[in-house]
Amino acid sequence: MIRTENLTKVYQMGDAEVYALHDVNLDIQDGEFIAIIGPSGSGKSTLLNLIGCLDKPTSGAVFIDGINTGKLNENGLAEIRRRKIGFIFQQFNLVHTLNALENVALPMFFAGVKRETRLKRAEELLAKVGLGDRIYHKPSEMSGGQQQRVAIARALSNDPEVVIGDEPTGNVDTETGNTIMGLLEGLNKEGRTIIVVTHDAEIAARAGRTKRMRDGKVLD
Amino acid sequence: MIDKFLLAYRSIREKRTRSILTVLGIAVGIAAIVSLMSVGYGMEEAITGELMGMADMISVMPGKITGHTYVELGSFTDRDVKDVQRISGIKDITAMTYDAAEVKYRNKRAPVFIIGGDTKELGSFYVEPVGIKEGRWLRENDFKGCVIGHRVANDFFDDIIHVNDKLIINGDKFIVVGVFEKASTLYASDVDPFIFLTLHASKEALQTDEVKYIMVRVYDIDEAEEIAEEIKEVINDNHGLDDFAIAMTMGSMIEQIGTVFNIIRGVLVGIAAIALVVASIGIMNTMLMSVMERTHEIGVMKAIGAKSSDVLSLFLIESSMVSLVGGVVGCVLGAVAAKVISLSAGTALGIEFGAVVKPEVLLGGMAVAMVVGVLSGFYPARKASRMSPVEAVRYE
Repeated sequence: MIRTENLTKVYQMGDAEVYALHDVNLDIQDGEFIAIIGPSGSGKSTLLNLIGCLDKPTSGAVFIDGINTGKLNENGLAEIRRRKIGFIFQQFNLVHTLNALENVALPMFFAGVKRETRLKRAEELLAKVGLGDRIYHKPSEMSGGQQQRVAIARALSNDPEVVIGDEPTGNVDTETGNTIMGLLEGLNKEGRTIIVVTHDAEIAARAGRTKRMRDGKVLD
Repeated sequence: MIDKFLLAYRSIREKRTRSILTVLGIAVGIAAIVSLMSVGYGMEEAITGELMGMADMISVMPGKITGHTYVELGSFTDRDVKDVQRISGIKDITAMTYDAAEVKYRNKRAPVFIIGGDTKELGSFYVEPVGIKEGRWLRENDFKGCVIGHRVANDFFDDIIHVNDKLIINGDKFIVVGVFEKASTLYASDVDPFIFLTLHASKEALQTDEVKYIMVRVYDIDEAEEIAEEIKEVINDNHGLDDFAIAMTMGSMIEQIGTVFNIIRGVLVGIAAIALVVASIGIMNTMLMSVMERTHEIGVMKAIGAKSSDVLSLFLIESSMVSLVGGVVGCVLGAVAAKVISLSAGTALGIEFGAVVKPEVLLGGMAVAMVVGVLSGFYPARKASRMSPVEAVRYE
């Protein structure tokens, strides 16, 4: 279970303080599929980065399975990111020097999984997202949709309980977007918690629950 | 671990041009050190090596050295020579006379130094180390024969002198019976500009009975200094003076040359160190650029679970791989450059020496490359590892 408590993130812009997040309290149950929707600048990506342990809050806290992530050091946060969370970015963010198989295997590499094991699992995951025939392709040799599917396979590499998508369909066409949403729904059916940020109402409608955000606050 | 090397190798290969430039930067610095030191060692060894061959020699001269100039105080007598001969431990002794004479070949006249001495003994000092290029060495009964140095034959007169050519020395006719090879560095000033005569002929031609130079060979090099002292005492006693004669062993000259070479090598290493500093700045710059360019990638790696230490070790492995290759290339380039420098410098300066590439210099070069590479990779690597993932991911 993920819970935020008075989560606040303030950016200093010259003399002015800008509240990207303001006292956000949100509970996300295990196995839930939640979409956070809102215009750009509403703070939804900031919320996602805090939940995903990519960033630290100004005040307030994020609890993941009861652990206060604010109390963890660098390595502890890296551990959470590695074991519990799979991140999917709008820009795919694959490592362009590595092929699909190596990209998917990379999180397992950082987790210290043996080479044969991780390559085997990476291959299975790529097959699962429908790219079994493209495992040796580099990102530059793949379409946006294919790259995003590699990114999903990569997010699953250490078998995380939570998959976080920051506008995962933002850079692909509608049809590919549907495929990707289908994959995420599948992952949700496996029991994983899915948190997706989007500004596309149609995408959001496929989630189990939708939360709206505006000016750094979650609306009820 | 192997996988980290693979990952580092991938990113080195990805930025091929830049990696090659970095490798070259290190290689040039290392090559400078290796080549300059090898040339220094080569010069030293060429000269001390030859000197070692003459380590059993003692030069005895009637005069003193003040500062860098030799002042002749007179000449030795036959009694001096006989007394020196009696000293125990001496293998050979050659009494020589020398002076300038007017020499005419065809229509050109030139002043040339004449050396006269016992042909057998003189021969044992010069013929073996230098070698005769044309003709033969003097015989005891060559009253009208002479052997000439390389420069006398080639440079002093309008035409090149060969065996059987005639020279007029102070009005007397002599026939060239032999021409020396071009002497190596050490013997060059002793042989190349001289004409050699038998003792008898030189006394006639120079109109003198004086002995101006005695060369002594000892049986045991370790006794050379002692014997030199004894020679000095014996001759000084004969002349009733305190410092009439100087007797120099080659050993003392080798020592002096050694200190000179230490200074030269110090200067060479200094120059090489500057080259290396420039190279390290280059490496650091490249590594910083590489970190900047891959800020995004670092962010992604951290987002998917890489620890700071993972990122740090990746970048350190990368910079040590680059420096290792740079070090190897630098050692090879340096060794080749040393050979080329010694060859062309030898030709230009008229001395012959080969560069000496010592294994410890190569190892040192490799070590320096690694240390410089890792140190200059460390700052950027640490900077990379400490980046906040969200800022790094946002960086495009």
